[in-house]
Amino acid sequence: MGALQVELHNTTPMRLSAAFDCSPGEVVALVGPSGSGKTSLLRAVAGLLQTKSLRGRIIVGDCIWFDSEKRIDLSPQQRHAGFVFQHYALFPHLAAMENALIAAGTSAARSRLPELFERLGLQGLERRRPTELSGGQQQRVALARALAREPKVLLLDEPFSAVDAPARQALYREVAALRQSLATPIVLVTHDLGEARRLADRVVILDAGETLQTGTPARVFASPRNARVAELVGIQNHFRGQFHKQEPGWARLDWGDRAVGLRVLDKNRIEDGAAVTWVVAGERIDLLPDGAGEQNLLRCRIEELLSLGETSLCALQPELLPGERVTLTLASGQLRALGVVAGSWLRLAIPPEAVHIMPQKEGATAPPSQAM
Amino acid sequence: MDWQAARVSLLLAVLTALLLLPLGLALARWLAFSTWRGKPLAEAALMLPLLLPPTVIGFYLLIAFGQGSPVGGWLARQLDLRLVFSFEGLLFASVLINLPFMTQPIQRAFAAIPNSLREAAWVSGLGRWRTFTRIELPLAWPGLLAGVALTAAHTLGEFGVVLMVGGSIPGQTRTLSIAIYDRVQAFDMAGAQTMALLLVATSLVAVALVFAADRRRPLQER
Repeated sequence: MGALQVELHNTTPMRLSAAFDCSPGEVVALVGPSGSGKTSLLRAVAGLLQTKSLRGRIIVGDCIWFDSEKRIDLSPQQRHAGFVFQHYALFPHLAAMENALIAAGTSAARSRLPELFERLGLQGLERRRPTELSGGQQQRVALARALAREPKVLLLDEPFSAVDAPARQALYREVAALRQSLATPIVLVTHDLGEARRLADRVVILDAGETLQTGTPARVFASPRNARVAELVGIQNHFRGQFHKQEPGWARLDWGDRAVGLRVLDKNRIEDGAAVTWVVAGERIDLLPDGAGEQNLLRCRIEELLSLGETSLCALQPELLPGERVTLTLASGQLRALGVVAGSWLRLAIPPEAVHIMPQKEGATAPPSQAM
Repeated sequence: MDWQAARVSLLLAVLTALLLLPLGLALARWLAFSTWRGKPLAEAALMLPLLLPPTVIGFYLLIAFGQGSPVGGWLARQLDLRLVFSFEGLLFASVLINLPFMTQPIQRAFAAIPNSLREAAWVSGLGRWRTFTRIELPLAWPGLLAGVALTAAHTLGEFGVVLMVGGSIPGQTRTLSIAIYDRVQAFDMAGAQTMALLLVATSLVAVALVFAADRRRPLQER
């Protein structure tokens, strides 16, 4: 089995400028808001995006599925992709097993179907029509049909959006198990970041048809490449500021109207005096009792405190920056230990290495300085 | 009861439906999936037989295929085929005016198939022909049945066009509807009554069959 390599450009009807790859056994999630082109990209890989203006390459192992320069464009039938549609797209007039049989091209594939049905928890349901199955069961049949094809690439288009929460949990485990046994690249389209974080080895962030960033979920969430990525991956604490170099390895980040200067690391990637967007990972921020003193300490007032059981959602307002708001999810026990309630004051300690700084794109729609 | 007329009517209905089914199927499928810009015009032309008085259609068929016309003259000389005042001519006219009755239900049935089902068939490795036979045709089946039933029922009841291009030649072009008219003209109300009842019953059964077939499908497929 070979890796999937995709590099596509398109103008109409959907603008695309995207590149990503996926190794055998790897799960890559295409993530973006609706209209970001993630489904179009997936359809293009399957050969279902019918547009003459598509340029680029789709390569699986040593097989070229699409190459606009070499004028190669395999039909969906020739591509051998397993595709799971968002709303299953099962053939309503065929029983569950017949739905899978239709995609099994070889007798070997046909003989493996009973085992596949058993593995997907579909035994006993072979003769049921799709309308006689629950949403989760229908999705498993759709998965069985895609696997019956003996695909070289498995493509999943929002596969869990139409099933209820308990069925979704079971399907997550199914996909996790699948990648153990399946040596094919798996590409998953989702708008749900939690889902992407949970299932994918790497995420590809898409916006307006363009790949903005690719990487492991942890890396993309901790170090978004720019303000738009930070916004798309739902990082709440992103702010604007100005970056000033100081002694080697260190810089001062002016937050707001220079009322607060944070001491941060200088990784030599940002120019002196540049306007920047910065994010801070909430889990690395410390709370101290009011009165403590150290660098990067901010006196804050708890503006809002929402208890969610073990954790609490906290909105903090820095004393010197009344327009800004830091949102944190904190352990309820820690808050109890500090004896804080809504309206009380405390100190926020931001370690220099927890701050990730990005250039503010010229003319780009930068997020408002205040998160949420 | 004019059994000769009943035989002509039945033969005409069956042959019209049989000839029109492949033609209507091809046309309906193309109309359902085509993105051609001239499609609305083609659809409008197809609906004309429903809108125009049958006499107008009959009139133009007479003009186009009468022996005085170039086409009618050529057909008579080369193929010994007369398309007016003959059963063949009646069949030809019947196929033409029944086009909307056959294509409309079939086109709607094809258009109701979600595009994702056809795409699912393609990515499952089914070619265009197998997608048509294994997926589209079974799903559009009630539409086909409706087209055939409506065409047959409508052919049995057609009067104006038959009179214009067929006349009333016994055993050739005199259908039940013409025979009823002739009986009424001759003040034979009882004779007209039997035949009229037969037509009512046949049409009712044909259309009821269509609705019954539609009911048998599960709700989600409708």
